[in-house]
Amino acid sequence: MHKHLITLGFVGLYVALDAASFIHPLHGLNITPWNPAPALGLVFLLRRGPGARPVLVGAVLLSEYLVRGVPFPWWDSVLSALILAAGYLLLSEALVRRMSPSTLLDDRAALLGWMLPVVFGTLLNSLVYVSSLHVLGLLPPGGWLTGVLQFWVGDAVGITVAMPLFWWLSGERGRLALRAALVGWETLGYSLLGLLALWVAFGLGGDGGFKLFYFLFLPIVWASARQGMAGAIVSATLLQVGVIAAVQLLDFSAVTVAELQMLAVVMALIGFFIGGVVDEQRRTSDELRQTLRLAAAGEMAGALAHELNQPLTAMGAYASAYDALQARGEGGARLDAAINGMRAEARRAGEVVRRLRDFFRTGATKLEAVPLAEIVAAAAAHYQAKARQSGVGFCVAEMPELMLLADRLQLEVVLRNLLSNAFDAVAAADAGARQVSIRAERLPGELVSICVEDSGSGLGRQDLERAFESFHSSKSSGLGLGLVISRAIAETHGGRLWGEVADHGVFKLVLPIQETPRP
Amino acid sequence: MTDNLTVFIVDDDPSVRDALGLLLGVHDYRLAVFADADSFLRALKPHWHGCLLLDIRMPGMDGLSLQKKLLELGCDLPVVIMTGHGDVDSAREAFRAMAVDFLEKPLDGTRLLAAIAEAFERQRQAADAAASRSQIQRRLDGLTPREREVMARVVAGRHNREIAAELAISPRTVEVHKARMMDKLGVASVAELVRLSLG
Repeated sequence: MHKHLITLGFVGLYVALDAASFIHPLHGLNITPWNPAPALGLVFLLRRGPGARPVLVGAVLLSEYLVRGVPFPWWDSVLSALILAAGYLLLSEALVRRMSPSTLLDDRAALLGWMLPVVFGTLLNSLVYVSSLHVLGLLPPGGWLTGVLQFWVGDAVGITVAMPLFWWLSGERGRLALRAALVGWETLGYSLLGLLALWVAFGLGGDGGFKLFYFLFLPIVWASARQGMAGAIVSATLLQVGVIAAVQLLDFSAVTVAELQMLAVVMALIGFFIGGVVDEQRRTSDELRQTLRLAAAGEMAGALAHELNQPLTAMGAYASAYDALQARGEGGARLDAAINGMRAEARRAGEVVRRLRDFFRTGATKLEAVPLAEIVAAAAAHYQAKARQSGVGFCVAEMPELMLLADRLQLEVVLRNLLSNAFDAVAAADAGARQVSIRAERLPGELVSICVEDSGSGLGRQDLERAFESFHSSKSSGLGLGLVISRAIAETHGGRLWGEVADHGVFKLVLPIQETPRP
Repeated sequence: MTDNLTVFIVDDDPSVRDALGLLLGVHDYRLAVFADADSFLRALKPHWHGCLLLDIRMPGMDGLSLQKKLLELGCDLPVVIMTGHGDVDSAREAFRAMAVDFLEKPLDGTRLLAAIAEAFERQRQAADAAASRSQIQRRLDGLTPREREVMARVVAGRHNREIAAELAISPRTVEVHKARMMDKLGVASVAELVRLSLG
């Protein structure tokens, strides 16, 4: 029942579109400068499959009868409509191989795969259809070339501008994306700009041969640059309707309308390609962020696995000791030590797991106001004992009193990573010459620069470039992602991280600070 | 003998040291624990006997480097390696440096005890072999030059008569030397003598 309703709705809409776009017909024939109905027909065919073919043929015939009446012998009229319908069926066959049902035409390859068949298919269709009209004697002599061109322009523009809209509307994902785009305040903004541009192009510049038509590019570029393909579709539709309305209001001749339609299709295509590129770029950056998050989680998990192994090893050993004591019936201090040891190690393992969970929670960076000194102290605390053990002079300078807007855990990972590198860098140095320091200074422009220095041999330009690439590690453990992840974290905080070429190790992390320090 | 049953643990994690210490203590091993490779090397004495339980990942010198260093120093303590990252490369490195076993953390108590028992067993076998070698050497040292000449020829497969001709003595004398030599070495047959001479 639902399906029949849709079929009925399609036929109705098809006829309505055909009627609405039956303007400036050439010799009263179905040759108009704007023909969006086939776009609807193609989408219906692509979505429904071969079973929809008779419906489309029926819609074309019905529309021919209802919109244009039967101005010439009915069999000629039916024949020409059938030829036209056959053309659309063939075009849909060409498209079905290039358009998967899930595509939103929002990348360049999909756009090209859709556009080329449309441009050449409509040209072929126009040649065959107008030639048939010519053979049937429905065209006046000498009208063949104009007819072919006008029909081609009308169909190509109609399909190019309207088909993405119908395609999106006929799929769940597209509908959601369009709705999301429509509720944005920017949609109102570029719609108003579109009206203004139409007024400038036709109202102010209309007399001078549309010298100011290029204003029409502004809203479409705005829309597609900001909202991707969804914005391009919305703005292209608005402009198309606007151009047709202006044409009707100002009563242009058919030839001028065809020229204006060429303009509309170029604008729509520019919009679609900008939108496609913007969507592609957005997807790539999402994927990259996801990959980095996974890499960071992997790195973190590697480190935590080592930390989990220790308590688990200890627990296993305590348990084995407990078994042996139990077997020989021994109680007392050693049995207690085994039990207490297990309890303490279970707690320690739990702590490690909690940290891992925290990290996955912060997969989305969670910003909170944190005093700089607190994060630095937390990160440095892990290295105080290490510094004493390995004879490294570890200097944590006094931190300026300021607040960071930061994800505490992630920034701590960055600082620990930098300190860990610094400690590794001085490990090979002579005992007296092992120095690591961390200090911070406020920079103009609400920034703070945190500098980690070590007395190691420093890095050359090439080493530094490689240090920030994935999977380049000078260390035996880990994947060499530490600096890559640290830099990604710094950048999600709106900051930067880089190493300096120097005779000793220098890494700088610049972060924005919260503008009003807490009193 | 308990002196030979000392397990030296080198691991940077205090809880792991404590737990392993308790487990091995319960199984009547003596223990010496170290937090890192450097402190172990500083304390190391040539006369130490026992078995070494080494963690790979430690600050400063890692376990595999310590193992190699000990090999260079000529230290014959059997080594059991423990690691959280059981990758093929480090296992290969450990076994090339004569590790007794390569255990992955978290450790299995039974396997750890088995590995330590095997380490001590190996050490005992090595000690036994060394002892029997020195005993044989002592016996060989007790032979007279003539008996040694006879032994070399018997081992080379000569008959008494050939030996007599070569040494310009009577076959009867060769037989006497041979009997005394075999008696001193405590062997009953030529086959045993050959095996002994091969060491």
